[in-house]
Amino acid sequence: MKKILVIFAVLAMTAAAWAAPAERYLHVRVDDPAKQQSVHINLPLSVAAKMLPGIDHGSLHDGQIRVGSIDVNGVDVVQMLDALKGAPDGEYVSIQQRDRLVRVAKQNGLLIVHVEKRAGEDKKVDISVPWTVAAALVSSGKSHELNVEAAIQALENTGDKTEVSVTSNRQSVRIWVDSQSQVQ
Amino acid sequence: VILIAKVATGLVGAALVAGGIVSSQGFIHVRVESQQAAGPHVRLVLPAMAAPIALRFVPRPQLRESTEELRPWLPAIEAAASGLSDAASGPLVQVTEPGRQVTVAKDDGSLVVCVENPGQAVYVSVPLRTVRSAAAVVAERDGPN
Repeated sequence: MKKILVIFAVLAMTAAAWAAPAERYLHVRVDDPAKQQSVHINLPLSVAAKMLPGIDHGSLHDGQIRVGSIDVNGVDVVQMLDALKGAPDGEYVSIQQRDRLVRVAKQNGLLIVHVEKRAGEDKKVDISVPWTVAAALVSSGKSHELNVEAAIQALENTGDKTEVSVTSNRQSVRIWVDSQSQVQ
Repeated sequence: VILIAKVATGLVGAALVAGGIVSSQGFIHVRVESQQAAGPHVRLVLPAMAAPIALRFVPRPQLRESTEELRPWLPAIEAAASGLSDAASGPLVQVTEPGRQVTVAKDDGSLVVCVENPGQAVYVSVPLRTVRSAAAVVAERDGPN
């Protein structure tokens, strides 16, 4: 009888460990090779989710961030995301100019944004975010406000698909989410 | 002799209980290491439970003055300390620049800050529980009279 109980206990613990979702981490990496500076941040998403509602500073309050308007070549990104919630996959914005390139698409459940600025200082922005996260960002229903708290909750349930990178001549910023507590 | 033995046993017991209470919250470690022979080498181990208690004795105006910038972040600090308690150990923030490296990490139940400058390194380890209770004390004492 004891043996059976022990086997059940071990099985129950194994199942619990198996079922427990792995902690997911938000990583931010900023590199400035010219100044030989670098910043690495590894923050458990659960901690970020707990911290956010407590911050009432600047444009961040109650887990929401006031953004004014995120305007890319006259396209209000927040309004566009809201409008695209139920839209099928496709390329929704494509601007090609001599000095800049903008592409916004919905592809395989991901929001893909690519912006390239070639005049003056070269700058490249690449965003690949699960659509559920993008939809959560604009879920507050208020224009010019992003629901960061909802987006973080959505991130906890997505795979390793989130990647934001901003690269310029001087600096590179990379933000991504995975299950590694530190960058290898 | 029996009376002395009883008193001694009582004292040892009291000391053990006091030691147990003091160490139950862990310890704050502070280490300053200089690479110069004549430079400071400091090693401090303080009972963590003393920090929130000491904060209660800081006069309110002085506390308010020194925590001015910290105030909006107190709820976030409390939440972070509470959330980090369940998180795995590892580096949280690493800042590298010429001549300086700053690391903030979670190590078991403690928050560890390490600042390495040319010629000197400072290492501070504070139990997360202490961060939480210290933030709570500051918020409580900093609030409206």
